[in-house]
Amino acid sequence: MKNYLNLIPISAKIHRRQTRMTRWCIVISVFLISTIFGMADMFLQSQKNLAIMTDGAWHVMFRELTQEQTALLAARPEVKSLTRYAAANYKLDMDYKVEGVQTVLCGFDESFFEIYPQARLSEGVFPAENGEALVTESMRERQGLSVGDEVVVTTPDSSLTFRVSGFVEDTSMMLKTDAYGVFMNTETYLSCFREATLSEDFAYYVEFAPRCRIQKTIEDICGQMHIPRDKASENARLMGTMMQSGDQYIWMLYVIALILAVLVAASGMMMILGSMNSSVAQRTEFFGMMRCLGATAKQVRCYVRMEALFWCLKAVPMGLFASIVTVWGLCRMLQALTPTWFSEMPVFGISLPGVFFGILIGLLTVLAASRTPARKASGVSPLTAVSGNADTVFAAKRAAHTGRLHVETALGLHHAAGSRKNLILLTSSFAFSIILFLGFGIGVTFMKHAIVTLRPYTPDLSIVSSDNSCDIPDSLYRELRENAQIKRIFGRRFAYDLPARMQGEEKTVMLLSYEDCQFGWAEDDLRRGDMESVRDGEGVLLVEKAGFETKPGSEIELETKKGKHHVKIAGTLGYAPFDSGENVGTVICSEDLFRELTGETGYTVLDIQLQEQSDDVAEEIRSAAGDAYRFSDSRKSNRETRTVYFSFALFVYGFLAVVALIAVFNIINSIGMSVSARMRQYGAMRAIGISVRQLRNMIAAETFTYLAGGLAEGLLLGLPLHYYLYRQAITARWGDAWRAPVMECAVIAAVMIISAVAAMTGPVRRIREMSVVETIGL
Amino acid sequence: MDIMEVSDLCKTYGKGEAKVEALKHVTFTLRKGEFAAVIGESGSGKSTLLNCIGALDEPTGGKVLIDGQDLFAMTEEKRTIFRRRNIGFIFQSFHLIPELNVEQNIIFPLLLDYRKPDAGRVEEILEVLGLQERRSHLPGQLSGGQQQRVAIGRALITRPKLILADEPTGNLDRKNSQDVMELLTKASGQFQQTILMITHNPNLITSVDRVMQVSDGILTDFGGNDNEKLS
Repeated sequence: MKNYLNLIPISAKIHRRQTRMTRWCIVISVFLISTIFGMADMFLQSQKNLAIMTDGAWHVMFRELTQEQTALLAARPEVKSLTRYAAANYKLDMDYKVEGVQTVLCGFDESFFEIYPQARLSEGVFPAENGEALVTESMRERQGLSVGDEVVVTTPDSSLTFRVSGFVEDTSMMLKTDAYGVFMNTETYLSCFREATLSEDFAYYVEFAPRCRIQKTIEDICGQMHIPRDKASENARLMGTMMQSGDQYIWMLYVIALILAVLVAASGMMMILGSMNSSVAQRTEFFGMMRCLGATAKQVRCYVRMEALFWCLKAVPMGLFASIVTVWGLCRMLQALTPTWFSEMPVFGISLPGVFFGILIGLLTVLAASRTPARKASGVSPLTAVSGNADTVFAAKRAAHTGRLHVETALGLHHAAGSRKNLILLTSSFAFSIILFLGFGIGVTFMKHAIVTLRPYTPDLSIVSSDNSCDIPDSLYRELRENAQIKRIFGRRFAYDLPARMQGEEKTVMLLSYEDCQFGWAEDDLRRGDMESVRDGEGVLLVEKAGFETKPGSEIELETKKGKHHVKIAGTLGYAPFDSGENVGTVICSEDLFRELTGETGYTVLDIQLQEQSDDVAEEIRSAAGDAYRFSDSRKSNRETRTVYFSFALFVYGFLAVVALIAVFNIINSIGMSVSARMRQYGAMRAIGISVRQLRNMIAAETFTYLAGGLAEGLLLGLPLHYYLYRQAITARWGDAWRAPVMECAVIAAVMIISAVAAMTGPVRRIREMSVVETIGL
Repeated sequence: MDIMEVSDLCKTYGKGEAKVEALKHVTFTLRKGEFAAVIGESGSGKSTLLNCIGALDEPTGGKVLIDGQDLFAMTEEKRTIFRRRNIGFIFQSFHLIPELNVEQNIIFPLLLDYRKPDAGRVEEILEVLGLQERRSHLPGQLSGGQQQRVAIGRALITRPKLILADEPTGNLDRKNSQDVMELLTKASGQFQQTILMITHNPNLITSVDRVMQVSDGILTDFGGNDNEKLS
């Protein structure tokens, strides 16, 4: 041994049990911090991937550029690629068809496939020659096409023939609208469809080189080329995930993320500080002995700090490793569930920000957190080691109040509240869990607002009347209902623009029918009245909107082709998924009543949910329906919706789970530490005659004092923070007024109470099993 | 009248070659009001004997009866309650509760029993111990001697059948040691308190009624009668 600091590894070996909790505390703190930052990094990566898949890899899009501007733009060093794109009949409101099917026409440069990875070339090559075109897979299947075949596009005036150079996958929009797509190179497109293209449908997509300061470059481009700033549209989602957004709102989200990151770092610091304090308190005699043997206060301070760093040598890598494995697990989960969307995300990737913050906060926190214990340790009097007074060194400054309470309860309360510093430290660390939970809880509200979710009634496939009449026969419904591959089929009949009289006023309404399933789903939206009598055909439901507010029981007169009918409004709905348009009311009735009122027996829409997402079943249903109706395939768009929601939810709930884990660990650790620090005292009490039950009550009183203080402090600070974050992230965007997060508070309070109860079991077991003789050194 | 009966008490640590017999078939009794001392070298087994008698440690064999009740035939919970009502402890390191003041520390065993302390009894003890002026002080504000006096008061408050004192003067200077011994002698005489003290200091046995020695786990009774000074 050359230096007194060489005592550290020797002491660590001997006091392995005593310091185990502190070392674990560092491991878990580093793990949690690194996991949260690693998850945040992976979250940004996944959202970036998702943004590229759904919105494209372009950063900015210009419209209506001249040839000269295009050339200047392409020549800029910051521009990685410039892709021209134009489209006609995108909204399917023009008369461009292939074999009678509405067709979207697009022209673009070959680099389009790089900026839109979702537009995959499934076979063939890009149409380099004039007169060549790519067509969509659905068109290939239904028209039986191969590469080299010809397709004829009928236009409002004539027809054009293209040779098929390859096939591309359908977009979700095309599948949903049952449209074909014919895509050609820009030159071919311009020569054929320039006249039919609206000026806003000419676009120039720019992808900038990595590390480019995009906002500044866009400003430069617009300034130099005299392009109005509003003609440059940004890919907001992608730019947001790249931290390059110029959007004020996105910047506010960055600020919120920064606040949460600081809170996470602070909570890690609190945890380590608490356990280090406790670790030093348990070894008072040892530090007293060092002072007794001639160590200066400075040397003891240095010893405590070096000891903390020594623990970090193993604890930090262990925490980092655990966090890396956790983030790998999350990425693997993301890929396993949505392989096509996140295939580019590395399964065994290492999040550098996660590792960086794990090490930085781990080391810095340990060093910063060791300051107070080091000062305390250096302040231990040499007399302590020889006087046998070690237990009283950190004793409270005033006596416990044993007058009214049981002595064990009074002592428990005093253990918690006797030292104001200790109480503030522990309640604050408990409070941090609530503050963090409420802060991250905003993510759930944000997700519910920002991301569309699938509803129970969202169909996979729909058969829709081509002229919105009730011409889909009931027989088709009955035939499909027998198909075992179909999980659920439900139809609706529509009668549009019916004259009606309500409360003496002339109105126009849309009448539609529901069957049992749809009535069931509508129950949640029932504001007033009774659903049962509507199901039984004794009344109708009215969807509440401006001009259509009435009480259940009132009557509405409907005029259908079968004449005038008076029906009773049995209930009102707050929401219905069908928009009848401005000043048009929505009236919902049973199928039987619809038939009685209109005489129609067929359906306008048949919605189908499949048992399994199989193409063969979809094709079978399409064949059964025939060509007389529109066939809408929503499976791809549902998958997209599900993926977006899932990828967001995985991380949002992941963050909340980690925050809850922080709470659980913090409480268990704090109580464990507190009990360990007083083990000798408990041993002495056991010798005097305190029972295990009484000691358990004492620990419970201490635990619940911290808990109550933590809950009060957490709510006191967490609610204003929640209010601020809510205003910035939700109210600013969607206008929703702030509401107290009762559910979030209840969940975290429940987690904390359960953790507190669980936290007591270990220490109580230790007390029950402890040897009094060994503990107090008799 | 015998207040304590120890019969055939054995305590063994370890197994095989590492086996150590700390107590070998120890048998003796203590009469009510007797002040006995057990002396012995360090590691002789005297602390083990005290711990077993106080039910802090479980013997490998034998019996300890206090006031006719077998300590180790009771459940753990019952034994704990029996201990706080019938056995008073005085430790070398005092082991006071740092968060309780002098008076609270003294009445602590009664508080554990949810009993209301008799104010007269508390006053009497405080007076005997000379701690009336310090009744509201915390242990951290007392000298070693004063702390040990508080510990003696805590041992006396329940009027236990037996007080076990483990090197009660081990951490004290000569003056304080003398004071403590005087107090214990007074307690034995004035309150008819049975005391078993362990010490390695031969000077302390001058004021006890009876002396025993433990050596290699074997107890030898040197005898002595009530109020007889052994030297």
